[in-house]
Parts: sequence; structure tokens; C-alpha cells
Amino acid sequence: MTAPPTITLTVNGRTLECRRVPDDERLLDTLRWRLGLKGTKEGCRTGDCGACTVLVDGESVLSCLALTHTVEGSSLVTVEGIAAEPLGKAVVAAFQAEGAVQCGYCTPGFVVALTGLLKERGPKASREEILAALSGNLCRCTGYSPIIRATERLLEKHR
Amino acid sequence: MIRSDLAAKLAGRTTFGADLDRPGMLWAALVLSPVAHGRIRRVDLSKVRKAPGVVVAITAPDVEKLLPKGSGDPERPVFPTREVLYRHQPIAAIAARTLSEARAAALLAEVDIDPLPIVDDIETVFPEWPEPSKKPNSAVVAHVHARHGDLEAAFREAEFVHSETYRTAGVHQVALETHACLAEVEGAIWRVTTSTQSPFSVREDLSSQLGLPESAVVVEGSWVGGGFGGKTSALLEPFALLLAAAAGAPVRLALSYREEFLLGRTTLPCVVRIESSVAKGRVTGRRVRMLLDCGSTMPSRDFATGYAITFLLGPYNVDTFEVEGYGLRTNKPPFGPHRAPLIPQLTFVIDSHMDSIARRLSVDPIAFRRAHVWHEGDSTALGQRIGPSGIDSALERAEKTVLRWRGNAPREHGFGIGVGYWSTGVSAGGEARLRLTPQELVIEQGEREIGSGSVVRGLVAVAERSLGLPASAIRVAYSDTASAPFDSGVFGSRTVGALGQAVQKASEELVRELEARTGTKGSLRLEFDGRSIRAVASGLRRPIAELLTPEELNEGGLKAHGKFYGPPMKFDESRVVAGSFYPVADVVGAVHLAEVSVDRETGAVKVHRYAAFHDVGVALDMAMVRAQVEGGVVMGLGTALTEESLWSSEGSLRNPGLLDYRLPRLNDVPPIEVYPVEGFPGAGPFGAKGVGEPPIIPVPAAVANAVADATGARVFELPLSPERVARALKLL
Repeated sequence: MTAPPTITLTVNGRTLECRRVPDDERLLDTLRWRLGLKGTKEGCRTGDCGACTVLVDGESVLSCLALTHTVEGSSLVTVEGIAAEPLGKAVVAAFQAEGAVQCGYCTPGFVVALTGLLKERGPKASREEILAALSGNLCRCTGYSPIIRATERLLEKHR
Repeated sequence: MIRSDLAAKLAGRTTFGADLDRPGMLWAALVLSPVAHGRIRRVDLSKVRKAPGVVVAITAPDVEKLLPKGSGDPERPVFPTREVLYRHQPIAAIAARTLSEARAAALLAEVDIDPLPIVDDIETVFPEWPEPSKKPNSAVVAHVHARHGDLEAAFREAEFVHSETYRTAGVHQVALETHACLAEVEGAIWRVTTSTQSPFSVREDLSSQLGLPESAVVVEGSWVGGGFGGKTSALLEPFALLLAAAAGAPVRLALSYREEFLLGRTTLPCVVRIESSVAKGRVTGRRVRMLLDCGSTMPSRDFATGYAITFLLGPYNVDTFEVEGYGLRTNKPPFGPHRAPLIPQLTFVIDSHMDSIARRLSVDPIAFRRAHVWHEGDSTALGQRIGPSGIDSALERAEKTVLRWRGNAPREHGFGIGVGYWSTGVSAGGEARLRLTPQELVIEQGEREIGSGSVVRGLVAVAERSLGLPASAIRVAYSDTASAPFDSGVFGSRTVGALGQAVQKASEELVRELEARTGTKGSLRLEFDGRSIRAVASGLRRPIAELLTPEELNEGGLKAHGKFYGPPMKFDESRVVAGSFYPVADVVGAVHLAEVSVDRETGAVKVHRYAAFHDVGVALDMAMVRAQVEGGVVMGLGTALTEESLWSSEGSLRNPGLLDYRLPRLNDVPPIEVYPVEGFPGAGPFGAKGVGEPPIIPVPAAVANAVADATGARVFELPLSPERVARALKLL
């Protein structure tokens, strides 16, 4: 058996080496327990809630379903780094203004997913398209209404 | 929105129970029962203990060696000693160096259990139903019975008796964060940091279950990733503490999402027979009988049957009634609290029934409710006087909204009203300490913020109004049960109403002390200029720094202590025939309006528009009220339409995951209009009423009544899944 490989990741602008990463280690666990970046939340671990969403090379990824070795060499943005990006900062400000946060457990996933969507689809994406794409993220507290309002606020601002 | 916790939550800097760790921490896993009911012959952990990474593994006989007194509460053993009572009941626990090692080892436990017959369906254990039980039945954990007036005469003289049977499903809280805790045992101190709604309840549970003095148990709440009632008492803490004691190291125990579904204490199924006698357009008498699935609840620990059953009479006056309910023991996890436990379901029953009678009489359903609804001075079922109530005012506003909406909606749309109320838990007590320094006011208290904002914002809003300070000068402090003042916890929508009164009293004491020091009377307020606090009264304007003694300046400021323990409440005991009932505390009403359409081929219900009219007393922060209503309505739409725990006949939960237990998603949500009804003050500070739970209560009723309005067909069972609606439409 060969020793598990060393994985190189750039996380929020910092390049890091993770040693002896088992083949079955999930990106979620690498971030939370190896790198101590616990802003990325563990929800269902089955890809059904969106709480663990991170950006991998700019695209939204459910980190509970991604094996760490499959993102070797990639550039990651987690909630801890999201406000360093202008779009991410705007998303955070919109969530704050609309009070789109209650317990806050789904919040990092929503903030990262919405930032990723706006990046991917561009500021001209339709409201319906963005909201449909955001429907993979679950929230039990807010009833989504303030999250919808925050999204609308962002889309208006970028028109 | 004014909430001091938002920035950290948005930056991912908030530490929840699931995020806790310590150097040298071990990871824990549970061994779960493979059967729903059985006699334990053998639990052999020898292979578990030899597995890679395992540090300790414990089961029933190990517990007594770990506890200082040798045993805990025999009624509530940590692990079952002779009999397992529900599928997936924890029967052993393991701590290992890694989570995967702990979980892999759990599979090596050798468990030998002789299966016993199981009770899963409450309707099969009670052959007399809906007639009262004639002989003792070992499945009955609670029997409650109350009556008032001459019901037989009312039924005899009625123009008709309207009789219906309703069924409601079990639903799960589904907080996004599962139960999670971290335990440390150092010397005689058993310390646990945990995601809980009530650190003091967890302390009490641990103390009694483990036979430890309360002073030896220290519970610290973490930030909570959603509670909804599911995190009010101890669940994982006993296992984690015993493992920590056995291993001599900190132990983290968190449930997987699947385990959260399997082990969580949730709302369970209920069946209701409801009959109303009607004469001259009015309900003259009402009889309700209820069977409630209590899961494997011990008889002494049933909380639901007696408190819930009177809600089946609704917020409506009725001259004579009889209510009788049975809490039944089944082989499921014990029934547990869930945002107004069982009341959305029972409100669906009573308000579908009221709607159904109105339709049978061909009268307007809102006018029919208004003819019966409580006003101030009316009595509850057990003869308690109703305080100022805005329900009729809410109905009046809903009536106007229905007219407006009908005018601009497609013809096939239906409109439904749901009328609900809640009795907020303002009788449960709590204390708060205030510390006024030259720069800030600190509220020291024993709750944790679970998301609703009742702690982080609600208590601050009370201090703001009491003292005149802005929120930016007020900070809420959290600490463990060893140092925080006592509080009952976040449940029953009581934080602002009860703990808020402690904050209000402490504020008043601060003002009195400052007035004494400055020789002013009756008008002293505090002001904040962004840096320091001043006392202001007529002819007075002085920095707090000048009013504090040197000791106070050195020792954390001027302190004041406020206590609120609700006065004992009484009801008319002569109406009780059997069982334990609970007094109603502060009645808070809500009226909801749903506009729906129904797919005539599939039975799928779509909610197009929603309006919620809430009797809030005095809104201390309207943005927070709105947030609670929007969130509660959507949670209620899940109860109404999609959420349902499904059990197999072997007692297994068949849908322990988010794919098969469907929560409302973002694109399911209709536009929701929120209207506060003010002018009917409640028991809370400045007349505030609790708003955490009321918003979920009328939702299933409103949706079901809208479906009946759209189709003419009534659905008698929750949730209103496409299949059930299609059956009601005779499509299946």
C-alpha cells in the first residue's frame, strides 16, 4: 500500500499542503478538521442541504460530496474568504440588510452558493434562474423570504 | 435589522455545538438497537474494544462503575438494562481517536436481543376507540378527561351533530445542525458544552439521570444551529460525559443527520374524533376524543396529552363540552417538543371542523368563526379568564383581505382561513443581572440564542425601552450554569415575555439606584454618544463614570438583579374528571389566510399567496416579528403539505433523510404578507406577546380550508400530500 499523497490546495488565497490525506477523505472534513475552517458547515453529508457549499475554481461545490484528492491543485473560497471578493462582500451586505440570517447554520452555504451563482451566471441572470438554482440550499428558520429579498436587492444593484 | 450576531454568522466565525473541539479530544459513536422492542440477552463489546483507535466502549453495566454514587435514576437508565423500547435506541457508546474508527467499531458490537411484539399504530391498540376505554390498557401512559355543562342535552336538542375524524402525521424539527456536544470530566466536575435551548434543563436532566449534585454538573450552551423544540432537554450529554469519565479525555459526540432523524424526540401521530352539536347557526356543544402516540414515553414524563387536548376546542366559546384523551405508548422514540408541539395539528382539526360546519350551514366561514371566537373576559375550557385578545380584530382584517384577493384571483383558486392560538410559557421563571459600566450595559443571563433573536435582540429591546439606551450600547453575555443566573430556557415563546420581565425589573432597579444617587425622581434615562453613557433627567446630565463608586468602576460596574417567576395560575378543577391539565398562561392569537390551487390530475397543492395576522400585543421590534412569522409560516407549510415521518411495521423510521422527508424549499415559498395586530397587550414587558411559536399554528388549517374552498373536497389527514388530496377528489 502506498502512503496517502500530499494534497496542495489554495484556500482563500493561501496555498496549503495537506499531508497523508486518505483517498476517502471528504473536502468538508479537510476544511473543518484539518485546516480548522469551521465556517463551512456540516449538515446532512449527503448533498441534500447545501450548508457545506464552497467555491472550487469559482464554481459552487458541495464539499461533503467532494473527495479532497479530486480537488488537488484547485483554488478554493470558503465563507471565511468570501468577503474578500467584491461579489461576496455585496452578498454579505445584502443578507445583513435584509436580516436573512437567524440561527446562521445554513448561512455560510447560502452566502457562498449565491456568490458562486452570481459569478457563474453573471449579473444579468434572471431572478427566477437564480432562485431556482438556490433552491438546493435548505433553511429552516427564515422561511427563505428575506433570502429572496436579499437576492432581489443584489440583482437590482447589478442591473 | 438590529442583531449583534449577524456579522459573525455571515463570516462563518460563530462556534456551534457541531464545531466544538479540544486538544486530545476523542470522537464518539453510538451502538443502536437493531430491533424496536426486545429483551436484551447480551451486549458484548469485546471486539469493539480491540478495534483500531478505540479508547473506551461502555454499556449498561459500565455506567455504575463510572458514576460517583454508583447509579443514576432507575426510571431513566442511560443505556437500557433489560429491554429496548424503540428501534435505534442507544445501547452502547464508543470513544475513539477518529470518528471513522468510532463508527467502524460500533459495527463490531455483538448484540443479542430477543424480539418482543411491538406497538406501532395507536389505532390498533385501542379496540374501543372512539368509545372510552373500559378496561385498563397497559399502553396508556396518560388519560385526561374534562367536561362542563350538560353535553347530552345539547346533543339531544341539536338540529344536527357534525362528526368527523382527523388524523395527523409525525413531523421532525429538522434543525440544520444536529445534536452535538463536547464533554469533559475533571475531578468531581462533569462539564458539557452543548447545542441546547436550555442549559439549566440539561443540567437538571443530567443531575437526576446520573445521580450527581447540580453543583457537580456544569452545562455551557454553544451557539445553536436551530432548535425548534428539539434541543430542550438532555439527549447525547449523558453518553458523552460517561465516555469522557471512562477515557479521561474530552469527548465529542454529534449525531449524523440520519441519526438525528432516528433518535430525535419529535411530534408523533394523533387521531381525533370531533363532534359538535349545532342549533340556530351556533355550536352548542362539543365532544372531542384524542389518541396521541407518545412513543416510548414513561408515564411520569408525558407532557403532551393534557396540555394539548383543550386546544381541540379552539379559541372558541362553547357552552358545554367534553374532552377525553389517551396518550399511548408505542415503540418509537419518546414524543418531544416541536415548535408549539402538536398544536398546528390540533388546530388543523378544530379549524377544519369549524370550516366544515360553516359550509354545511352555508354561512361565511369567517363570520361563523367571529360568532364564536374569544374576546377579552371570555373563558377558556377550564374556566380561566381571557386577557386582551386580538383574534377577532385579526379575523376582521382577514375578512377584508379575502374579499380583495378573491377579486383579482383566477376562479379555480381557493381561499382558506386558519385561526389559532398559543399559550406562551410566561409562567416558567428566570433571572437576569445587569451591569452598567461607563461604556456599556451588559445583560448577564442563562439562555443561548437559538436563532429567533429572542435573546440577542429581544432582551436588548426590553433594556432599550426600559432605559432609553440604544442597542449599540447593550451587550448580552452568555455563560455556563455555574455562573449565569437561572433561567428556564428557550421554549414556549417565553424569552421576551418571561426573562424579558426579569430584564425589565433589573432595569427599573438600576434607574432607582441612579435616581437615589442623583437626587432625581421619575424621569431618569440613559443616553449613549457612541463612546460613553450618561444619566439624563430634568436638570441633570452626568456621565455614568461620575456616578459609580471606585469599587464599581473596578468591579464590573453598577449591578442590578431582576427575577421573574410567574404567579401561580389556577383553573376550574371541578371541570376535570381525570388526568393532569395545564393552566393557560398568556393567550396569543393568529389568523392566517392562504390562497391555493389544486392540480385536478395529481392532487398537488400550490400555495400562491399567504397573509398572516398576528396578535403581538406590542411589537418591540417589528422586523423581528416579521422574521418569526415568515419563518413559522414556511415551517407550517411543510407540516401542511409534505412533512411526514413514516414508520414500517417493524418500528423503523422509513424516511430518515432529506430526500424522503421533504422540507419546504426556497422555490416553494409564496409571497407572505405579515400584519401585526396591536392594541391588545399581553403579559410580557410593555405588553409584548410571544411570537416564536404562534406563526406555525394556523398554517395547516388555512391550507386545508383553502383546498376545501378550491375543490369542495375536505382532506381529513395531514399532510395534504398529492395522494391524499387525489383521494379526496376521488381521483384514486
